[in-house]
Amino acid sequence: MEYLVMGGEQPIMEKLKILTAAAKYDVACTSSGVGRKGNGQSMGNCVKSGICHSFAGDGRCISLLKILLTNECIFDCKYCQNRCSNDIPRATFTPEEICTLTMEFYRRNYIEGLFLSSGILQNPSFTMELIYRVIYLLRTKYRFNGYIHVKAIPGAAPELIQMAGYLADRMSVNLELPTAEGLRALAPNKHRKTILTPMRQIQNGIVENKNDLVLYRNAPRFVSGGQSTQVIIGATPENDYQILSVAESLYQKFALKRVFYSAFVNVNGDSTLPALPGGPPLLREHRLYQADWLLRFYGFRADELLDERRPFFNVMLDPKEDWAVRHLEQFPVEINRAPMEMLLRVPGVGVKSAQRIVAARRSANLSFADLKKIGVVLKRALYFITCNGRMMYPVKMEEDYIVRNLTHEKERVQFGSDGMSYRQMSLFDDGAFTRPLAEEEQLQAVVGQL
Amino acid sequence: MTVYRCEDSLEGIFTAIYLAYEEKRDHGDTYLSLNDEPMLFAEDVQVVPDWEKTRKVMNTLNCRFGEKDYLFLCMALAAEDDEKAQAVYRTVADGLKRKVNRGHIFDNLADDFVNKAFALATNTWREIDHLKGFVRFQELENGMLYSRIGPKNNILTFLMPHFADRLPIENFVMYDDRRGLFGIHPAGKQWVLYCGENERVPGDRTSNAGGLEGKLGKLKISEAELQYQELFREFCHAITIEGRRNAQLQRNMLPLRFREYMIEF
Repeated sequence: MEYLVMGGEQPIMEKLKILTAAAKYDVACTSSGVGRKGNGQSMGNCVKSGICHSFAGDGRCISLLKILLTNECIFDCKYCQNRCSNDIPRATFTPEEICTLTMEFYRRNYIEGLFLSSGILQNPSFTMELIYRVIYLLRTKYRFNGYIHVKAIPGAAPELIQMAGYLADRMSVNLELPTAEGLRALAPNKHRKTILTPMRQIQNGIVENKNDLVLYRNAPRFVSGGQSTQVIIGATPENDYQILSVAESLYQKFALKRVFYSAFVNVNGDSTLPALPGGPPLLREHRLYQADWLLRFYGFRADELLDERRPFFNVMLDPKEDWAVRHLEQFPVEINRAPMEMLLRVPGVGVKSAQRIVAARRSANLSFADLKKIGVVLKRALYFITCNGRMMYPVKMEEDYIVRNLTHEKERVQFGSDGMSYRQMSLFDDGAFTRPLAEEEQLQAVVGQL
Repeated sequence: MTVYRCEDSLEGIFTAIYLAYEEKRDHGDTYLSLNDEPMLFAEDVQVVPDWEKTRKVMNTLNCRFGEKDYLFLCMALAAEDDEKAQAVYRTVADGLKRKVNRGHIFDNLADDFVNKAFALATNTWREIDHLKGFVRFQELENGMLYSRIGPKNNILTFLMPHFADRLPIENFVMYDDRRGLFGIHPAGKQWVLYCGENERVPGDRTSNAGGLEGKLGKLKISEAELQYQELFREFCHAITIEGRRNAQLQRNMLPLRFREYMIEF
């Protein structure tokens, strides 16, 4: 089969391969935050919750056509595979190629929209202008009404970022490394200030736009899906507490929609970067995401979960369990009476189940069986809750005991088949029967001497 | 005990609910059955689906419980389950009796019937959510888009509005190969549902040339289609990070049963 060639001398397949592989370490691949109906004349709409269209072999969702505009970069960041000192195949898409790919993939329902990032070609403003040209073409000539996420290139002229913001649904500026020292060490061409300036600009733009929309309903929307950023985990020696505090301040001071954490993968084998013999720090990334959810939806603060004395997350327990066993004085919580904020702090109770509990207890007194039906994870929750003043099992409110049980639940907690009770003893359930018979016992049985 | 025997459709079940109220039955002692299994000491009533009665029930549910909950009740009825009619009927009866506010019919999750209906609806909703992403259209030679789906629940009616809103300028057809249902959307017009008489994949035979199957022809896909499929497959490979490969997670997020209908696997 001959591959499509659109204009340029490199076949499109080649370019797509290179520029997708170059973009794969960017994690901000969600299509959420904007609900927009189709307008009947052009292609596309947006769904508030976002849609995952496929899942790659690493289990991450494929929602947007995640590509770089070019991987010809003048910067030399040590962690990045597209740095100028690397000898790798380079490619650049033309705006038409990106638009055609997006439209054709979109109408076949492969993707939810476009995620466009780029290496720095010539200078930041020039690159931002190229990005702007692509999405302008996509929105006007191709009349694409779906989701567009673009990077704001740090150091680009503010007008360009402003203009791109009116066409995109979400914009992001990558913080890359949680602290300014880390950034100085690994990304000599990037500066904390040039990263935070566009972030602030977008934040102010969103606020102004909201005020405009109150006055003029049909005013053009500016970055209606909010902005996000990403932080690389494990390339520099920051601890979890520092990272989480940075994330918290980003949420509070910059009104970000999401902070993404990306476990560091050493693609360059650079001597200044940590070698990771055990693979990327995935568990650490996972714990940070768990804590991130606790910050955004469960009303926790970063300094409740971690502090200077214990700056890393517990490997065995998730952050919520960890917090709960250290604050046993607040437990057990009475399910039929506790306020929403307290229900949200019980391990095993999520936002959905907490809402359902609050709704359901208006019309009935809830029991443990009801909680199970509602969707509470009882094997985690049972140490921290009471229903009508009773705990599910007699449980010691003692930190060591609960930690032991939470971490070894397979051995410790004996659920019946329905998961609701201790198993009923039956005549044939004795330990002696499960033990394989010794040879002489078998012999005795055969000759009738048992 | 009264048993209403109704057909497995929205009309059948809503008509039965209407009859139960019209004939002033005791809701605790009434059963909506979708099959012909005989029950002891029960009075059998055969339900003939009636559009006028269905419309009245739909109106009432929509007014009393709000649009969102009404849609959720419909989703429960789209599920594949023998007890769904009974669960929805008792949920509705419970909601009307307690005079719940709009949007609160599923609050009482401690009740078995409400819980059952809610579980069914959630299950259907999840599958709709999955398929909104996992549906793959193929371009035919005449430029029309065609996709084949095989969902567990009868969700074609919930998928069509989403895609009609998304692709208003496209001619597309969705085909549910488990139920022989077609959703047809002509560009710029209202979409329609079409029930194929012989439940076969279109293009298998071209006998009734006048029918829809004939018009779809042998499903010749366009030349560019193969190119774009190959491009997308390559995209999916290129985006995977080898250091994080995790097939178990991939299967959790995208169950294997969907793969049959997707072009990238």
